[in-house]
Amino acid sequence: MSGAPAAVAGRPAGAARPRRVRQRVLALLLVAALAAAAGLAFLTVAPNRLVTGTGVLLPALWAGAAGAEGAAWPAIWLMALLLPTAALVVAVWLPPSRAVHAAVVMAATALLTSFVALAGAGAAMRAGTLPEIARVSLGGGCWVLALLSWLAAGDALQRLRLPPARHLAAHAAVLLPVVLLLASGALDALSLLKEYENRQDVFHAAGWRHLQIVLTALLPALLIGVPLGVAAARQPRFAAPLFATLNLLQTVPSIALFGLMIAPLATLGEWLPGSGVRGIGLWPAVVALVIYALLPIVHGTAAGLQQVPAAVREAATGMGLTPRQCFWRVDVPLALPVLLAGLRLTSVQLVGLAVVAALIGAGGYGALVFQGLLSSALDLVLLGVLPVVALALAVDAGFTLLEAGLRRWRAEPAV
Amino acid sequence: MNLTRRSVLTVTLLAMAALAAGPALAQGAVRVGSKIDTEGSLLGNIIIQTLEAGGIKTENRLQLGTTKIVRSALIAGEIDIYPEYTGNGAFFLADEKNPAWKNASAGYERVKALDAEKNKLVWLRPAPANNTWAIAVRSDVAQANKLATLDDLGRYVAGGGKLKLAASAEFVERPDALPAFQAAYGFKLRQDQLLTLAGGDTALTIKTAAEQTSGVNAAMAYGTDGPLAALKLVIMEDSKGVQPVYAPAPVVRADLLARQPKIATLLEPVFRSLDGATLQALNAQIALEGQDAKKVAERYLKSKGFIR
Repeated sequence: MSGAPAAVAGRPAGAARPRRVRQRVLALLLVAALAAAAGLAFLTVAPNRLVTGTGVLLPALWAGAAGAEGAAWPAIWLMALLLPTAALVVAVWLPPSRAVHAAVVMAATALLTSFVALAGAGAAMRAGTLPEIARVSLGGGCWVLALLSWLAAGDALQRLRLPPARHLAAHAAVLLPVVLLLASGALDALSLLKEYENRQDVFHAAGWRHLQIVLTALLPALLIGVPLGVAAARQPRFAAPLFATLNLLQTVPSIALFGLMIAPLATLGEWLPGSGVRGIGLWPAVVALVIYALLPIVHGTAAGLQQVPAAVREAATGMGLTPRQCFWRVDVPLALPVLLAGLRLTSVQLVGLAVVAALIGAGGYGALVFQGLLSSALDLVLLGVLPVVALALAVDAGFTLLEAGLRRWRAEPAV
Repeated sequence: MNLTRRSVLTVTLLAMAALAAGPALAQGAVRVGSKIDTEGSLLGNIIIQTLEAGGIKTENRLQLGTTKIVRSALIAGEIDIYPEYTGNGAFFLADEKNPAWKNASAGYERVKALDAEKNKLVWLRPAPANNTWAIAVRSDVAQANKLATLDDLGRYVAGGGKLKLAASAEFVERPDALPAFQAAYGFKLRQDQLLTLAGGDTALTIKTAAEQTSGVNAAMAYGTDGPLAALKLVIMEDSKGVQPVYAPAPVVRADLLARQPKIATLLEPVFRSLDGATLQALNAQIALEGQDAKKVAERYLKSKGFIR
């Protein structure tokens, strides 16, 4: 945040030279993209979903297309890639301004869309000449190029310094074309989408289930973690053993935890008929995730309360506030940003951790991940991992909005 | 203030309970489990669809986890039925020394008797297939050196033939796996002739041999692995019967079977139809072609007239 003005200042002596690189990040991304395009396979073609495919470089796509669809193929795609690339190259030399940044966002978005669309079209073309069981997957080159385009767009967006809500909306707009391509069926020839087609039911059920696992774990983790954090902040003697225990729990592997919990939870379920407590499924998964989530929540709460200056608290007491009023009106509002940061960390972490819940039959996207790992079908693993990444990003974005809202609310004069 | 806080807490707790209870549990439905692997999901789906077609309500608990977790869940009464291999009875019941496990019918009778007595579990009639541990060799190597049985392989290795085996640590170390093969067929693989991979996953060992990673040309495999043929590997026949027979059979809790005896009569003809070649072909549709196990099971059961 504070680094940005320094970058603008630069060296005054250099400004006199013409043709100076003005946007170093963009230049670096472009050089990396060139290397990826030349050196990494854009698509890989495999005889079936288990074996590793042979790579097809980006330029080689044109060689393959020449026979199939004639002259139209190369020309259109060449334009789609070269025009935005040229725009980005020009932008490297331009002095930074809002107009330039906005243009970079648009060019990078166009490039990202073109890479993804080209992968879909290239896959469709290759797949047409191969037996049904053959698979065309996204190669390392395609991933790197798409990622670099996204980074370029993200970097330029950052420089536009939009308010949080508009920043997020703009970022969503950058990714929207890719989502539309996915929905349009233009990418259906890719192995990833074939895995989706074969497991649609499982995939859609997994989404809700994954959310359910995360939310069900988050609530008890908060209910237990926040009071523990408050206690740790007030009683330093209590804090040391508490954190030692939580750290220790963090190191127990989830699969071991699951194995240990089956029998006790099953017994508990028999004692409490109708409670829904079970030794397999959602219960053990949630219990394990709550245990893992406690550390960041307790830590965040304790750290948030500890950074409230003692002087503020003394002043409040001096004004005649009771300890309870002091806690709710001074401690909590001042600790909230740190607490929220801890909650944000925990939520994002839980979205990722919920993957292991599949190992105890709780479902979620982890079911796809582990089925893929066990049958060494990499694209099935990806089909499980990509929505988890998307979900984690969405949760993170949600917290950005929440924190921005909180800042605005605090900026208003107190009643 | 106090009141609102308490009501917030109550609402939160209620919401939690609602979430945790999840979808209303189908009371009285047969809870069908399976291991997380390919064949587990295939056989589990076959059980579910056969029972449903016979008018028995089921609850899907498939691909629950590893062998240990699924077996614990059955014993703890968390699931009612799942497909297991007869040969694994030797380890569940700590009876590894008994020669009965190496014979299909004797092994079945043994596990049926022991598990009924100790755990109140009933082993229904197994499929005539054997998903045992095996060694598969690249077909080009097998052809060039005329390898068809482990006898041939033993002679080939002992005579200095080039072989490198990809296998799990368990296969390499467990006395009844590779060491048993080596003792029975008179060969010994050196450390540099072994590539030990994490986990017991044969998809990975088979892939390693098919792609000749690190010079590997042989792989640990299971008898009913689907992708073997497509990845051009052949299983060396265990002509001396060193390995226990691992025939897949539904294992069901005795109390449930007493209430629903129809389960046994419904599943019996279906499992009888699942011979080794059939299981291999069905597994291949899932592992190699990426089809959904549910659809593969449905298509098979329909083609055989078990369901409509």
